[in-house]
Amino acid sequence: MPHNTERLGDLLDSLLPVLVERLHETGLGEIEIERDGAIVRVRAEDRGAPIASTPAPAAPRGGTPAAAAAPSVADDRRHPVRSTAVGFVKLAPDIHVGGKVAKGSLVATVDVLGVAVEVRADHGGIVAKLRCATGDPVEYGQELFLVESVGEVKA
Amino acid sequence: MIKRVLIANRGEIALRILRACRQLGIEAVVAYSEADRESRAVLVADEAICIGPADAKRSYLSAPAVISAALATGCDAIHPGYGFLSENAAFAEAAAAHGITFIGPSAEVLERFESKAAVRALLAKHGLPTIPGSDGVVADEAAAAKAAEKIGYPVILKASAGGGGRGMRVIQSADDLTQLFSLCTQEAQAAFGDGSLYIEKYLIDTHHVEVQIAVDKSGTALHFGERDCSVQRRHQKLVEESPSTALTPKVREEFLVRAAKAIGAAGYRNLGTLEFLVGPDGKPYFIEINCRIQVEHPVTEMVTGVDLVALQIRLAAGELMPMTQAEVERRGHAIEFRLTAEDPAMEFRPQAGEITTFRSPSGPWVRFDSHLYAGYEVPPYYDSLLAKLIVWGNTREEAIARSRAALLEVEIDGVATTRDFFLGRLETPSFLNGTATTGMLDAIGTADILAAAPKARA
Repeated sequence: MPHNTERLGDLLDSLLPVLVERLHETGLGEIEIERDGAIVRVRAEDRGAPIASTPAPAAPRGGTPAAAAAPSVADDRRHPVRSTAVGFVKLAPDIHVGGKVAKGSLVATVDVLGVAVEVRADHGGIVAKLRCATGDPVEYGQELFLVESVGEVKA
Repeated sequence: MIKRVLIANRGEIALRILRACRQLGIEAVVAYSEADRESRAVLVADEAICIGPADAKRSYLSAPAVISAALATGCDAIHPGYGFLSENAAFAEAAAAHGITFIGPSAEVLERFESKAAVRALLAKHGLPTIPGSDGVVADEAAAAKAAEKIGYPVILKASAGGGGRGMRVIQSADDLTQLFSLCTQEAQAAFGDGSLYIEKYLIDTHHVEVQIAVDKSGTALHFGERDCSVQRRHQKLVEESPSTALTPKVREEFLVRAAKAIGAAGYRNLGTLEFLVGPDGKPYFIEINCRIQVEHPVTEMVTGVDLVALQIRLAAGELMPMTQAEVERRGHAIEFRLTAEDPAMEFRPQAGEITTFRSPSGPWVRFDSHLYAGYEVPPYYDSLLAKLIVWGNTREEAIARSRAALLEVEIDGVATTRDFFLGRLETPSFLNGTATTGMLDAIGTADILAAAPKARA
């Protein structure tokens, strides 16, 4: 279906400010919406927020992992996905900032002495922040990444 | 060489192992369950790793979780502490298969010393007197009845795979045996995954005396004196001391030397404890072996000056015995009290909750091994040990006097503890004159002991 440029222009005029504001609010790396067959993707510059892909040889020390999450006005819509085992993590291919996550989907596995223990998403949404990278050692309950539910952004 | 140890335990022993590692210049990582996130060992450690939920089966008892945690943190050894996986041969083997040193006997040694019934026979062969009992495990009730008849009632039915005072039952008569045999089998099966039972003569007025031993890889075996653990409640040790009041000097020295010799010859390696009952004839009879560091090890440390946890780590690393028997000097008298979160006034019901006040005793020759602090939440999931008070004196009398003073200094609020029970116990004649036997506390009323306790400042 050919796009009506004028309509697309209107769409951008009305949506862009909202999307940009939302990006600021949430600290999301990227927001993508679909309307009338058109896809609008807005990507934020990295504002120095550390994306946790620490290649440290050691697992994190004790302390509440959740406490490490950066405070944000949209915390109630951000859901940490936590490791279900202690071992080495492997993220699913679509787990990158901006990637889509369906509720209940397999998002990672943790290798425990050669056995892959599944990690599934409790919430659907978009990957907002990575806190580990494939191959990292992870502890039980460790935050692997954040999923932001973006249902209401989609019209 | 061991460079980095994963401490796969909790409570006071996790802290104790951490201290030994630091002293040896070995890095340590504390493995903990979600329920122990705020435990003192985790807070004090340079590094810690959460291995699972509160349920021990999925954390401290999970061999894959513990070994995976060691790999994830780059550890080359695991210290299992006591309880949990500490005497599990399959775990030791799995750790070794992943290139990790198990700090304890090897899987092969653990396997050989796994069956209590077989170990009795093995050590009898190497010259240790044993209590009359069945010839190994009893196949069924009929075999048990036959053995019991031969030994003479009362007898004690024991789980061959049991330990820590669990999995045993006194049988007074043939009728009892008929009623309880299958129940005991089921209990042993449920608790230890092995329903095998064996029978021993039940001696009523006995002292429980045990020998701390260590054997290096070349088979050099030393003893570190004995501990008397006769103050028990329902087969659970409450107070331990060294030396034992039940042995004459002549019996003691001969017995200690013989125990060390037998265990070395039987092929045991690393740290261990041989448990004996001292019968009415004043002689010790072997009952079982513990293939781990024990709760009451500080009593021996106080008397010998040897750091047993450090020694255990060095032996596991393959070092030869760093001392000779003549260099193990035993001096004075030490007593340990196991302070637990149990209410003596309520049948020792286990307690859980927040520790609101915590003041530990101190002073000369007073040691207090505890993972508590004010604000710590005692979780309901694990054993109830809160602290071990260990006191040394030149003589038993001096150790008792210091114990009394130190116990009065202990202030733990928020949960009921056994402190007052011990204060009372220190005033009872059987403790003061050293004649306490293992069945005695179950016979004396707890209320009488509590009533004897001097009152601390309210």
